[in-house]
Amino acid sequence: MTEHFEVLDRDGAARHGELRLPTPLETPGLVGAVGVDDHDAVAAILRDGGSEWRRERSTPETDPAELTILPHRAFPRGTDDRVMTAFDPPVTALEDPTAAVVAPDTAADHGVDAYVLASATGHVGHARSFREAITATRRAIPDDTALYLPGVATPGNVALLAYAGVDLVDADRAVIRGTQGRYLTPDGHRFLEDLEELPCACEACQRPRDRFDREACVAHNVAALDAELRRVRERIRTGRLRDYLEGQVRHDQWQTAAFRRFDQEWGYLEERAPVFRTAELAATTADALHRPEIQRFADRVTTRYVPRLDDGVALLVPCSARKPYSDSRSHRRFQDAANYRAHVVSMTSPIGVVPTELELTYPAQHYDAAVTGTWTDDEIDFVGRVLERYLARADYDRVVAHVPAAGYRPAVEGATDALDLEVTYTVADHPTDEASLAALADALDGEPQIRVADRERATVRAIADYQFGEGAGDAVFGDCSLEGRHPKLRVLAGADAPAEEGALLATLVPSYGLLALTVAGARAWVDSDVGVRRVHIDDFVPHGSVLAPGVVDADEAIRVGDEVVVEGPSALAVGRATMHGAAMVESSRGVAVDIRHTTES
Amino acid sequence: MSEPTPEVYERGRGMDAHNAVMREVRARNDQSYDPREPTRVWLDEDNTPDGVVQSLTIILNTGGCRWARAGGCTMCGYVAESVDGGSVDHDALRAQIDAALTHEQDHADAPSPLVKIYTSGSFLDEREVGAETRAMIADTFADRDRIVVESLPDFVDAAKLRDFREVGLATDVAIGLETTSDRVRHDCVNKYFDFDDFVAATEAADAAGAGVKAYLLLKPPFLAETDAIEDAVTSIRECARYCHTVSMNPCNVQSYTMVEDLHRAGGYRPPWLWSVAEILERTADVDAIVVSDPVGHGSDRGPHNCGECDDRVHTAIKDFNRRQDPSVFEEVECACERTWDAVTARERGYNQPLTR
Repeated sequence: MTEHFEVLDRDGAARHGELRLPTPLETPGLVGAVGVDDHDAVAAILRDGGSEWRRERSTPETDPAELTILPHRAFPRGTDDRVMTAFDPPVTALEDPTAAVVAPDTAADHGVDAYVLASATGHVGHARSFREAITATRRAIPDDTALYLPGVATPGNVALLAYAGVDLVDADRAVIRGTQGRYLTPDGHRFLEDLEELPCACEACQRPRDRFDREACVAHNVAALDAELRRVRERIRTGRLRDYLEGQVRHDQWQTAAFRRFDQEWGYLEERAPVFRTAELAATTADALHRPEIQRFADRVTTRYVPRLDDGVALLVPCSARKPYSDSRSHRRFQDAANYRAHVVSMTSPIGVVPTELELTYPAQHYDAAVTGTWTDDEIDFVGRVLERYLARADYDRVVAHVPAAGYRPAVEGATDALDLEVTYTVADHPTDEASLAALADALDGEPQIRVADRERATVRAIADYQFGEGAGDAVFGDCSLEGRHPKLRVLAGADAPAEEGALLATLVPSYGLLALTVAGARAWVDSDVGVRRVHIDDFVPHGSVLAPGVVDADEAIRVGDEVVVEGPSALAVGRATMHGAAMVESSRGVAVDIRHTTES
Repeated sequence: MSEPTPEVYERGRGMDAHNAVMREVRARNDQSYDPREPTRVWLDEDNTPDGVVQSLTIILNTGGCRWARAGGCTMCGYVAESVDGGSVDHDALRAQIDAALTHEQDHADAPSPLVKIYTSGSFLDEREVGAETRAMIADTFADRDRIVVESLPDFVDAAKLRDFREVGLATDVAIGLETTSDRVRHDCVNKYFDFDDFVAATEAADAAGAGVKAYLLLKPPFLAETDAIEDAVTSIRECARYCHTVSMNPCNVQSYTMVEDLHRAGGYRPPWLWSVAEILERTADVDAIVVSDPVGHGSDRGPHNCGECDDRVHTAIKDFNRRQDPSVFEEVECACERTWDAVTARERGYNQPLTR
């Protein structure tokens, strides 16, 4: 049972939480040993129950205002598995806040509030080993418990630690580096004697350079670590830690490598990546291509999404800076020329391809890329491969590619090389010049218009596919009518639908392009043959939210932000997941589902 | 009959695991050694009950420690330098002694009053060094004042020591006690005997008119710096009652050992020289000669400070060995003392090592 820690916000694997002590501590946060850490920024709340390598320990005295580290046999990095197995001591959680010392290979649920990763000092600095240690430990301990990495945090690496899923750190390394005359900043470290100017305005750095000694350096390092943690927490609250980190890790090779190692471990990040955010997503580095949100979008567009407007021509157009694309000047001009005689599919780096039905759906209207007019080979390759998979699943008669020569055209060529599709290129110089627009209009001469009603119906179904699974649009909303104007669409039950005709099934949420279901909509999903993301709850009627202890079981496929059907002996409800499925099952604290509608059953 | 306690059971499991790992680590070594050459010979000065005298130290290559061949101590790599096959005959050992004497003649002005013989095992184990060889060695060094022979406590008995006493040599047995804590000795060092066995060995030595020199290990693997300091201070105080000399030696990283694996993975740092100084200062009042011989000081694999002050602190330690005067440490200062202060205040079992 996690009693004294709670996760409040999630941003991928990173969490903003609270260590629930008489004076609560916000996490990711700085902790220190009682009586040792006298810096204001450090919560001196750790009491070490002691090493059992040195002597046998009795049950420690605990205090509700402290986090007691239970007696331990810590295994530093390099300890052989057999030695760990032979010596790993039993752990008994106590009523007051407690933490257990673990190693990645032997970590297990001990019923405590926090876990101390003993080998951290050996892992930090080694990209792969760091990733393996964190992911193995995080998977072995309940999701709603705090992970403490002792002895490793610096202003330079703490954002990466938080991003990986670390909740607690200390000032030990910042202090020790200060005593060695190493001046730490988020962009690395400098030897004090090499610094002509102090690149900081903290209190310690107010004194003249020639009176800035190692004691001042200690104070600065702790202040810089504290400031960086504040930045990290703020970034997590707003869902923008990754945007910061893509730039910040570049100051250190091992951190950049570790960051990419995490991107290679798709499962760990994807499981924790939300299906939507309302925040902007900055796509300004090559690493943005590997973001789980972006990879997921490309994956869903080419596996779940069912093309329904592919009877005629696919019109490939470049993305626009303004989102959604159809609001942009360039896309309006394209449409003026095309006049809805083709299915608009936008090509974009780093998202891949965006069929017009999904232009609202996260992250299609949220990303903001650095526009230079050129694409790297990686971008051309990525967009080309997504487009190829996309076109292979569709049934267009032909393709009109209204795209610039740079980047886009090679991507189209690469994508259509192996496909038996006629491609007409209509851009002479620039997509919005008169000659190009005229060529576009010509290329679609004689093609029938796609009607508004068909586009809107396709939009709702495409989003359902994207959200619930391949073909869900037809399986769940096969018989429906729509109300309102795009993008504020409401989905009503049709005459032959199981629900009463005209009953509201779902609403399209324009700000992130996903459907919000009603109970009738949830029933339609349950009655369909599409896999339902279910949360089984105890015998109660949920209102407002379902807390983790009320969850009996949850589908492992559930991601933060997913629509979920909540079922229990006395209720059927629908809502939005605020944790991933595994976390719902493991956790004993925190909100699991924000409930939208409930019915008693 | 009482049931075995869980503690004993755990100890057996721990020892099995340590031995299995150590056997594997040692098996990576495929070098071989000449049985007619001693492993190492050197001249030094030692503080003995007779005062500070010149010493001749001989590491005999005997085929190595029986315990190490079963796996053995987590920090000890001496068996790696032993002859394969595990036994060296009398003639070869005689050749090794002759080589050592030649070294002494070449490098010293006069024969050393003190001769110390180590085997990286037990000199008094007759499977390593037979009775004939023991008698030959006693005879060879009969003209010296004092001899020190290394042994595990099991093999210390009055009869064997009489070989040396009878030729008039003051005799000491050097016992690698490592720590007076059975828990640390068993679980961190993986040395099988108990403190009680050590005490029994001191009694056996006493019965033969011999003395004991206890060897302690500062900072075995798994102990944080502060725990290691406390363990050493306690151990010096506790064992000084049973021996006239305590040699407290900081752990260094030896090849083909568990400590080397930990060190390579970033999970072990040899102790600070400031820790050695602190321990010697804090135990200067005990009724025994307390010395320390930091091997490989100043290197990443040996006890070290910041790289700037290592030689100076090492010199102070050597000075202390001769004079037993803690004021020698007041003479050395370095900015890294502040770092060491922070490490000793902050390092715990679970965050070690806090620095390299």
